[in-house]
Amino acid sequence: MVHVFHYKEHYYIFDTGSSSLHECDEKGALLMREKLGEAVDTSSVSETERKEYEADFAELERQGLLFKEEVRAYPPKSNEVKALCLHICHDCNLRCRYCFADEGAYHAKREFMTLEVAQKAVDFLIENSGNRKVLETDFFGGEPLMNFDVVKETVYYAKEQAAKRGKRFLFTLTTNGLLLKDDIADFLNKEFENVVLSLDGRKEVHDAVRKTVNGKGSFDLVIENLKNFVKIRGDRHYYVRGTFTAKNLDFSKDVLFLADSGFDSISMEPVVTDIPDLAITKEHLARVCDEYDVLCDKYLEYEAKGKGFNFFHFNVDLEGGPCLSKRVSACGAGNEYFSVLPNGDIYPCHQFAGDKDFRMGSVFEGKPDENIRSKFKNSCLFTRKKCDGCFAKFICSGGCSANNYHYNGDIDEPYGITCEMMKKRVENAMHILAVRKEKAAREER
Amino acid sequence: MNKIKTVARPAERKVTACGECRSTCQSACKTSCTVGNQSCERIQREENPEKNR
Repeated sequence: MVHVFHYKEHYYIFDTGSSSLHECDEKGALLMREKLGEAVDTSSVSETERKEYEADFAELERQGLLFKEEVRAYPPKSNEVKALCLHICHDCNLRCRYCFADEGAYHAKREFMTLEVAQKAVDFLIENSGNRKVLETDFFGGEPLMNFDVVKETVYYAKEQAAKRGKRFLFTLTTNGLLLKDDIADFLNKEFENVVLSLDGRKEVHDAVRKTVNGKGSFDLVIENLKNFVKIRGDRHYYVRGTFTAKNLDFSKDVLFLADSGFDSISMEPVVTDIPDLAITKEHLARVCDEYDVLCDKYLEYEAKGKGFNFFHFNVDLEGGPCLSKRVSACGAGNEYFSVLPNGDIYPCHQFAGDKDFRMGSVFEGKPDENIRSKFKNSCLFTRKKCDGCFAKFICSGGCSANNYHYNGDIDEPYGITCEMMKKRVENAMHILAVRKEKAAREER
Repeated sequence: MNKIKTVARPAERKVTACGECRSTCQSACKTSCTVGNQSCERIQREENPEKNR
């Protein structure tokens, strides 16, 4: 399919079959929309112009960059497990209002994973990883640093066991930063491939939802820890990860606040909650999309001034991105990626944790439940029928299975609000790509 | 080409499934991951042999 869109005075044609992006002017966009069967007024286009556009369309089609047929087949998914999310601690030292994990407890008792369970999870991953050489483990919570000794010992154990089997681990960890003191920071810097730091942006925004156990805002308690961590992190990967809610629909200000505070790798995610005053609803969508445009302008402005930063959702790799198999099979939850709870129970991912319908056995049983696994293994972009007519499908892969399930009761039924935000971010990302390419071409000339 | 400029011209979209790419959920978001903003690990490794992955 072909998608025509514009960002202010910039007009684009995106061909999903070839993943090609083309820039044209308003008249070119009009003519393409007409070609796609839309009723548009093309009276402003002269006959000469029409001929020129038609010739360009034909040439692009000849080169396989326009109206290219979309691939509909891909290799079957493998049975290799590549990643685990270890719920190293079902407890938290914060009480964030929007926490999907019930403020760390996941609607069950607060508990820490023992080293025995963590080691068993590592064994489970290695045993089920087939020929895969690189394995990934994410330490998650609650707040994983509340159980730091087990994090540390698990890392040592995993490295030792992987080395015996000719494999290696990449470790990631998500933390609120409250316990991120120098000794822990040093360990994370040495051993962890990526560290995700939770911070929502401006103090008043952060404090309104991210509260301590005593109900006070946590911004002042974490900001210096996070800044110090990033300072010593150097060029190793990290993300400051914020959440925006209905209370800060002007979230571009929070992203820029984070950038101005010295964080140069930022993600800002829409909240996933039903809490009425925080949830992003259909009524908010237009405002949210406008805000992504504000952020897009500012993002490019910062970049032009040499103050550029990385915003997670404004990356789109059209030229060197994942292969079709990956794009079709999505995140891999429930098949190549699992969550392990403190008691060793396995779930498709952290978002399903504790939902008994999705319990997939235990690391002590050696293998995940194949009935549930097959549901996830058989689910892919092509089983998500609503995605058929969407230009962004090969980029978003049909959305988050957990969001789909929680909002629509079916892992294959995409959640419309998320879709709209995704499409907007993808268009912004494509515009940013075009601006960067244009700048690079100018500098070359 | 007179009127239209190609911004991105991807290599032929491969159906490789080598499985070397990272799990999407280990990236940054944990809630709204986007597969398409990842890069292919194999291409990256081939371009940066020192990564030895």
